[in-house]
Amino acid sequence: MTKALKINKNAEQGIKEFLRFLLESGKVKGVFSLKKINKEGAVAYSLITDPKDLEDSVPFYPVMPVTAGSLLSRFTLKGSPDKPVVAVMRPCELRGFVELVKREQGSFENVFTISMTCGGVYPLDMAVDKKIEKNLPKYWDAVKKSEIPADVRTACKGCTEFKPYTADMTVDLVGNKDIDKQCIILLNTKNGESLADGMDAEFLEKKLDTKKLDVLLDKRAVEKKKLFDEIDKKMNGMDGLIDIFGRCIGCHGCMRVCPICYCKLCEFESPDSEYKPSNYNSELKKRGGVRVPPGTMYFQLGRLTHISISCVGCGACDDVCPVDIPVSTIFKKVGESVQKIFNYIPGKDVKESIPLVTFEKEEFIEFEE
Amino acid sequence: MVEDKEFMPKILAFLCNWCSYAGADLAGTSRLKYPPSILPIRVMCSSRIDPLFIIKAYLGGADGVLVAGCHPGDCHYEKGNYYTRRRFALLKKIFEELNMEPDRLMLSWISASEGHKYARVATEFTEKIKKSGESSVKNKIFL
Amino acid sequence: MSKSKETSTIKTAVLPAKSGTKKAILDFLKNAMDKKNFDAVIIPMRVPAGDSFVYVLIKDVSLLKDAFPLSPVMSVQGARVVSSVTRLGKGDMKIAAVMRPCEIRATIELAKFGQVDLENVTLISMDCPGVMPISDFLSDPEKGMKLFDDAVTSWDDSIMRPVCKICDKSSMIAGDIHIGTLGAKKDTFFMIPKTQKGNDTLEKSDIKIDADLDEWHNKVTTLSEEKKKKRNSANKDLKVKTGGIDNLIDTFSQCINCHNCMKVCPICFCRLCYFDSENVKHSAENYLQIAENKGSIRFLPDTILFQTGRMMHMSVSCVSCGSCEDACPASIPVGQIFSMIADETQKAFDYVSGRDINEPTPLVAYKKDELHEMEDAHD
Repeated sequence: MTKALKINKNAEQGIKEFLRFLLESGKVKGVFSLKKINKEGAVAYSLITDPKDLEDSVPFYPVMPVTAGSLLSRFTLKGSPDKPVVAVMRPCELRGFVELVKREQGSFENVFTISMTCGGVYPLDMAVDKKIEKNLPKYWDAVKKSEIPADVRTACKGCTEFKPYTADMTVDLVGNKDIDKQCIILLNTKNGESLADGMDAEFLEKKLDTKKLDVLLDKRAVEKKKLFDEIDKKMNGMDGLIDIFGRCIGCHGCMRVCPICYCKLCEFESPDSEYKPSNYNSELKKRGGVRVPPGTMYFQLGRLTHISISCVGCGACDDVCPVDIPVSTIFKKVGESVQKIFNYIPGKDVKESIPLVTFEKEEFIEFEE
Repeated sequence: MVEDKEFMPKILAFLCNWCSYAGADLAGTSRLKYPPSILPIRVMCSSRIDPLFIIKAYLGGADGVLVAGCHPGDCHYEKGNYYTRRRFALLKKIFEELNMEPDRLMLSWISASEGHKYARVATEFTEKIKKSGESSVKNKIFL
Repeated sequence: MSKSKETSTIKTAVLPAKSGTKKAILDFLKNAMDKKNFDAVIIPMRVPAGDSFVYVLIKDVSLLKDAFPLSPVMSVQGARVVSSVTRLGKGDMKIAAVMRPCEIRATIELAKFGQVDLENVTLISMDCPGVMPISDFLSDPEKGMKLFDDAVTSWDDSIMRPVCKICDKSSMIAGDIHIGTLGAKKDTFFMIPKTQKGNDTLEKSDIKIDADLDEWHNKVTTLSEEKKKKRNSANKDLKVKTGGIDNLIDTFSQCINCHNCMKVCPICFCRLCYFDSENVKHSAENYLQIAENKGSIRFLPDTILFQTGRMMHMSVSCVSCGSCEDACPASIPVGQIFSMIADETQKAFDYVSGRDINEPTPLVAYKKDELHEMEDAHD
């Protein structure tokens, strides 16, 4: 059982009231949350310092224009805030930030996190086509019933890590049929408790209803298997990969929006990866023709090698790809299998080293000859 | 009669300076026989090997890639080969998941005194690759 | 338009195209390669899965028969392609690059920036009907092929990129040779040399350059003037829709700062973009201070800074190819907006991007006496 806060408003109103309390009381100097940024209802993350601006915030809006992990990394990379800020983000975004902190690309100092059991987000093109508002009732209905809302991101449909690991506070959403009248905020850590202290609301002991969560977990696992099996059919060696990635235009959007890809100068954009005339000569001698610019497969395989160990399966890569390559399914599938051999769950524990910077004296005998 | 030219694989072998390269040298000075399929590349330590080298080799059409270093615990730089082992495991798993002929990659620990082991590994790996056939990647245009 | 000055002195070659222009162009290239006039060709080919077209540097002549000089989509802007082949040196291969006029123009601009070495490259353009937005083609590639073929036959741009629909430079001769299909008699096409290199290339292929250009020139001028009217009208509408800071913020409200537009832009060649550099990254306290001044700020911030900053950096060289718009995951009409701005900025300097390789870009040259209308009047 954990200490929890119960606010007798619907979940979104409840969290907003809590955030307003945090700002007004001076406990935090800023709040990161999704917010409606114009009359047409476009939603983007915002850093809010004035409680009045919380009016337009929509913390649980099912959209992820930017992965909040990258956002927090940018915020803290050049120096942590002097006073606390709190960020409302989804479990995968939080895991992404944890992985970035392990890579010294951000810091948890004075950064507190509120996450939730997550029903998924809609892809960017639905936000662009203004289709999200009218889907909201269906979305919340599905969340309450531990179902997968139709049309959410592919990555979300198969996501089995929808319960946050390291959040200071978790809002109970999935499977909670009372989210229309109450907002339950579990206080997981001492920081969470001290932030909530003084809030005019009921404090109680609560824990997440794992039965309800397992209902969704099973459904998501089934979807994940379906997605992985589908893509497996296309994986017949290099030809299969060329079929999948052949239409890649090399925009590297997937790399840029990925929370794990933080390198200022990506290997695949560096002089290391540029072809000299002599490289072209030798390639042409071998093949008679070479796709230009070269290195499409090299980029995809190379990026897999670099980030699969920490892939959190957020699906931002799918959203940004201009030619609809199922990047997240492939990266997630490979990611999960490499994470499994190291018994590693990215973002679970900020103190757990990334598997490639540590070792055991005896392991992986099966890979040696 | 047309002479049937047998397929001689091109296997890129990354050999660490202190152990496996010396072992390969010993195989040579001992006049041990092994197929002319190995293209050796000397690195100071097996942990110098960026998995990207192996991917580049594979995409470049290498029929096989061998990574050889000191036995775990005997690395000249104390712990390099422990990292090598992890990186290799990661890369091999990726190749497996993508159905990209993981058997064309091999990791082996060969010490400076193991000339025989080097010759044996080279011979066995070459046989294995011969069975897999020539890499189809070397002719591909749309990589 | 400087075209009339050119065409009154330029002669053209007229070539037969009994089995269609595509085959005729490929035959020309094959013959040129057989004669060793070219060692390699950069030309689009269809990917094995059939759902896109990409540029291939072809050395093996037998691959040419599968090439598509006029491909339905532009997956990567041709100027980027020529840059990837020649940026680190001209090499020893003589290369022919077959691309759209806007790609040739962007290549010329990149040459001015030292990103392309044209010494061993012969640039061949052609009359361009436009390219389809890549997502439209992807949704049904077979249908896309058919739609595109029909559009080429009837010279109809309704299925093309929005900026293609208002492009008045789709027959601009910017390279060494231009393939003219408009105004040509049945089963023929023009090969119009612009430069000495173009002339020599045709002569080495035993092609006589002795016909008049009037037919092509008249047709092209008429079409271009129609397009110009459409362009002016579209720009005017767009200015109203996106003009003013509020409209601009709204237009870019869905921008996710992925920078795809910058990445695919042929003119944006900086390895580390200013807007990704340390200059735009601040400490948490700085961000909080900025947020406090306004009550809240969008995060990641500086969307409008990036967009207008990029305009500042590249609009004088913008060729209105529309690759940016194809790549935008939020369907922002960024190609149309940047084209509209580029028209104005290039006009202000009496500059046309890619028109002449010897013409310096406006910001690296100056006249002692100019642009007084931009200055405060103090007399």
